[in-house]
Amino acid sequence: MERQSFVFSVFIHACALLLAAVILAPLLWLFIMSISPAADLTAKPLVWWPQSIDFSRYGVLLSSVENSAGAAFVASLVNSILVAGMATIAALALAIPAAWAVSRTPSIGWSLYMVIATYMLPPVALAVPLYFGLAHLGLLNNVFGLALVYLTILAPFTTWLMKSGFDAIPREIEAAAMMDGAGLFATLRIITLPLAAPVMATSALFAFLLAWDEFFYALLFTSDLRAKTLTVAIADLAGGRVSDYGLIATAGVLAALPPVVIGLVMQRALISGLTSGGVKG
Amino acid sequence: MSALEIQNIRKTYGAVETLKGIDISLESGEFLVLLGSSGCGKSTLLNIIAGLAEASGGDIRIGGRSILGVHPKDRDIAMVFQSYALYPNLSVHRNIGFGLEMRKVPAAERERAVQETAKLLQIENLLDRKPGQLSGGQRQRVAIGRALVRKPQVFLFDEPLSNLDAKLRMETRTELKRLHQMLGTTIVYVTHDQIEAMTLATRIAVMRNGRIEQLGTPEEVYDHPATLYVAGFVGSPPMNVLDGVVTGEGVQLDGGAVIALPVRLKNVVAAGRRVKLGVRPEALRLVGETADHRVLDVEIEVVELTGPELVVTGRVSGQRVTACLPPRTKLTVGMKQAFTFDEDALHLFDAETELALG
Repeated sequence: MERQSFVFSVFIHACALLLAAVILAPLLWLFIMSISPAADLTAKPLVWWPQSIDFSRYGVLLSSVENSAGAAFVASLVNSILVAGMATIAALALAIPAAWAVSRTPSIGWSLYMVIATYMLPPVALAVPLYFGLAHLGLLNNVFGLALVYLTILAPFTTWLMKSGFDAIPREIEAAAMMDGAGLFATLRIITLPLAAPVMATSALFAFLLAWDEFFYALLFTSDLRAKTLTVAIADLAGGRVSDYGLIATAGVLAALPPVVIGLVMQRALISGLTSGGVKG
Repeated sequence: MSALEIQNIRKTYGAVETLKGIDISLESGEFLVLLGSSGCGKSTLLNIIAGLAEASGGDIRIGGRSILGVHPKDRDIAMVFQSYALYPNLSVHRNIGFGLEMRKVPAAERERAVQETAKLLQIENLLDRKPGQLSGGQRQRVAIGRALVRKPQVFLFDEPLSNLDAKLRMETRTELKRLHQMLGTTIVYVTHDQIEAMTLATRIAVMRNGRIEQLGTPEEVYDHPATLYVAGFVGSPPMNVLDGVVTGEGVQLDGGAVIALPVRLKNVVAAGRRVKLGVRPEALRLVGETADHRVLDVEIEVVELTGPELVVTGRVSGQRVTACLPPRTKLTVGMKQAFTFDEDALHLFDAETELALG
């Protein structure tokens, strides 16, 4: 669209700005809350712009004094990173070969749809069996146990996502590599996986976010600092007799940071289009 | 000893038989074209030779050695795919050298081979690029280079020109012919384009419904089509086919005219037999001064000038006829015009079996 009228391009930009505002406004408000004095947040009418800037809550939450709110928060931050990280890595390790196999062998595609079908069950339906299962294995209130539970959520999801990624890579390229003398693992390592890198990165990011944001199972299967994750820790902040809205907001900002950092780091890998040019077109 | 021997190859998918016993024996240096419309089984046969599909029966030998069950990489073949199937994440240099790299050829030797191949195909200046940065024709060359560099016994081409535009297709066709003449390699080439088949092949196998209709040199296939299908498939525009009955004087076309039969066909067919008479459009010419035994009175319906020739379409006794004439011929739509042809240009097919007679 080289020839756009001025009015139309103004309209397009206005729409884009509106969309950005709608998406970013809650985040901005979250940040403003986290630096507003407590009085401002409970004042009536609400003070939208803080009179003074107060970063002290960040200090409170990140302090390492024993038995403080900060220690609990930091422990839950570490737990969240551990659980989400382990679950994501394990999910990718399972999903890459599974997705490739299903993509290249359409006759076993039904197995993937069976697994996807378990997604239809609400988490509540599985909570009790999972609880007994974890209890039997001694994995309640344990980061490994929670990661294992998350794996059951992430693995089908990432497999499904990556299958469509592998589907987009022509089989002829692998056939050509095979005839060129590359074994299965050489073909995957040198050709297929590099081509699938964008979709693998996307899968990893979404898997990590899914695990990072999970609340229900974390609430059920963890009980103290040893395994409690961020989402549960934030809920704890809200659950006391006196709620400091600013503190909750601060926890929210801190909880949002790791995924944002990961997203920025993987931005390059997320940009797809690597396959263009291998085949016609 | 044959370079490539295909013996009674069969392929079934469930109850569907896509290859019904294919036999071809190829000498070293031959250029075999598998020609047929889509679904005739030509690509399946190529994939079986390549090892990308398993045969349900029969045997394939390369250099006397049976290769069924042998891994594709150990068959001493190389293939150029229709989609090129280049490795998009590797440079052109590495694309070409990949086969040697996987076969643990020392780097120095590999480098020499890649440079040599690139020079042959005139793509030396592209070696550092990625396939995505190349045009269609350049990708095609890289794909050919990747096959050439390994110097295999047999090259397989799967419709390699079908993604190129018309001009580039002709250039690449000539290029392929030049390469084949220069290197003397054994090639099996799949296409549905009869002009590619005619120009490139030393032998053509016309395939239909999983069978070979005719196997022969381009001249044989063009001059002596073994079946009505081959007659209609090879040649553009396709051969004229006129229904008729054999009588004492020749062939009585449905709706009137009688065409005299040449001596070679006179005693071959009994009177009363239903036949199809075939004449190539380019064999037809305007009737001259001298009286003729073979005259088609054509009512002209369409006249198309293609440049080098004038394509005339009309009807003779209700049956459709096409003729290719010199471009300056003066003809107008609606006029009646008598055409004639040499007796050698007359083909006769049984109306039922569709096999060539005589």
